[in-house]
Parts: sequence; C-alpha cells; structure tokens
Amino acid sequence: MRLHEIDRGDSFVHRLLIGFISLVSRMRLPDAARVAFYHRDFFAPMGAWTQAAMRGPSAWSVVERELMAAMVAKWNSCSFCVGAHGAVAAKAMERSLVDAALADYHTAPITDGLKATLRFLEIMTLRPAELTAEDASAAIAAGVDAEALRDAAAVATTFNIITRYANALDFALPTADEFARAATMLLKRGYAS
Amino acid sequence: MTTSAPADHDALAQALRDRVLDGPGESDRALRQAAAERAAGGLAMEDPYDALAQAIGTASYPVTDAQVARVVEAAGGEKAAFEIIAAAAVGAGLQRWRQAVKALTEASDAPPRNRPRR
Repeated sequence: MRLHEIDRGDSFVHRLLIGFISLVSRMRLPDAARVAFYHRDFFAPMGAWTQAAMRGPSAWSVVERELMAAMVAKWNSCSFCVGAHGAVAAKAMERSLVDAALADYHTAPITDGLKATLRFLEIMTLRPAELTAEDASAAIAAGVDAEALRDAAAVATTFNIITRYANALDFALPTADEFARAATMLLKRGYAS
Repeated sequence: MTTSAPADHDALAQALRDRVLDGPGESDRALRQAAAERAAGGLAMEDPYDALAQAIGTASYPVTDAQVARVVEAAGGEKAAFEIIAAAAVGAGLQRWRQAVKALTEASDAPPRNRPRR
C-alpha cells in the first residue's frame, strides 16, 4: 500500500475498526476494505455503485458477476482483484470452472450468453474505442437481454475503476487461504462499507 | 438472481462523476478533471501528474512507488494524491461506460433482429 493513511486508517474510529476486524478475522484487513473506509465523504459514491452493480437486482447471479469482475481484473493485470473475486466466484462455482474461465473463457464450460457477454466486456476493457453496436448485437443474438448486458457493463465499469486504483496503490496480496476467508465476508456483507 | 427495481446505473455513474470530479476535496477540481481526461486518452497534463494519470488509464500495474510519491509531494498530501488517483481511475472507467452505453443504444435502435431474453 503506497498511501500510509489508507493502511492505518484516517480517523480514530477507522483505526479501531481496522484493528478490530483484523483481530476478529485473524488476518490483515485487505487493502480493498481499507480504501472503503478511507476519505468516505469523497469516495462513497464508488461503494454505492459497486454494491448496486454486484449485489443489486440483475438477471446475472452474484457468482456470474463476481466472475466478470475477476475477468476484468485479469485483463487489467490486477492480481489482487483476480484473487479476491475469483475466490468469491469459487464459493458457489467449481474452482476448476473459475480457473478455466480465467485461462480462456472462449473454451470454458460456461453458457453461450456469458461467453458473448465476456467478449463484449473484454473489448470494452482493452479496446473501448473499438466497441460497437455489432458487439452488443452479438451478445443479444447469443441470448443476452439488453438490460442484462447493461448490468454487465456496469460491473465492468466499476472494476475498470477498482483494478486501476488497486494497481496504482499497490494493494498487498493476501494468501490463498486469506482470499478464501475474505471471500466469505464479501459474499455475506457485499460492498457497502 | 435478484428481482425488484433495476439499478439506475446512469444515475450512479453521474453521482460518482459529480462527487469525484466536480465536488470539493483536498485537491484542485481542475487537476482531478485533467487526470480523468488524461486517463481516458486526453491531453497531457503537468508533471508529475501526467505519467501517473496516463499509466492509470492505459496500464496501471507498472505504476511505481516513486510516481505516487511525487504526486503526494506535489499535491500536498496523501488525501489529495488519493483523490487524483481516484479521479484518473474514474475517468478511465466512465470512458468505458459511455462506450458501452453508446454501443447498446445503437444496437437497440437498429432494426429488430434476434433479441431473445437471456
């Protein structure tokens, strides 16, 4: 973590909270959660949109959205977010399926609709200027409702933001066991801090 | 799957933009707006902000300790530096949101073809 105030908390209450949660969970509170506690007055709308995109009403299951988040993290080379959101997806999906999607979603045993959506999100993430109506139409033709594709784009947008500040701030990488324990919390509590 | 009123992503995106790029903060609004533009492929900005904002927009993983430290020093503190980093990330993200919405709108405006429900 490159900003020490985020690491230790920017108020007495937040320092207590970070210490308490770390003590109870018997692991260092992940940097993503520390950012959620930091400068709340400034960045609260980020948590609100992330919560709506990841846990709000949608045709996509929570697990499918977590897999999309992990894919965006992969495309943006964010090891922290690949680990964190791959671990959440693996709570309700075979770990081998998550790994297969992360390795190559084109050949992974996932639905055609999810594959077509991931193709749309991949272009949106890596080559946004090239994203066209034809790409949206291809996903719709694969059986994805336009509203569902919009929901997926919201997931990809929030994770195009999160992965960028996670990398810029150099989030510390938890162990596989810590990711799995943090995933249980994230599944239960969501993104609202 | 969850049901009830759909999320208003446009309103949530606008609220994020309004707060991070136009709202009060420890850093100058114009600096945050420039960082957001730069990360979305816009004009270069002054040093040391340019290298960091540009990297956040294109490839954020090679950002260095030194790049962030220089921005902390120039911006006058960690909170101000955080705002600039957040603004650049939001700029890159919202650029992608606008592209996705445009693609979806144009696809919806196209003559009906095969639009089954998921």
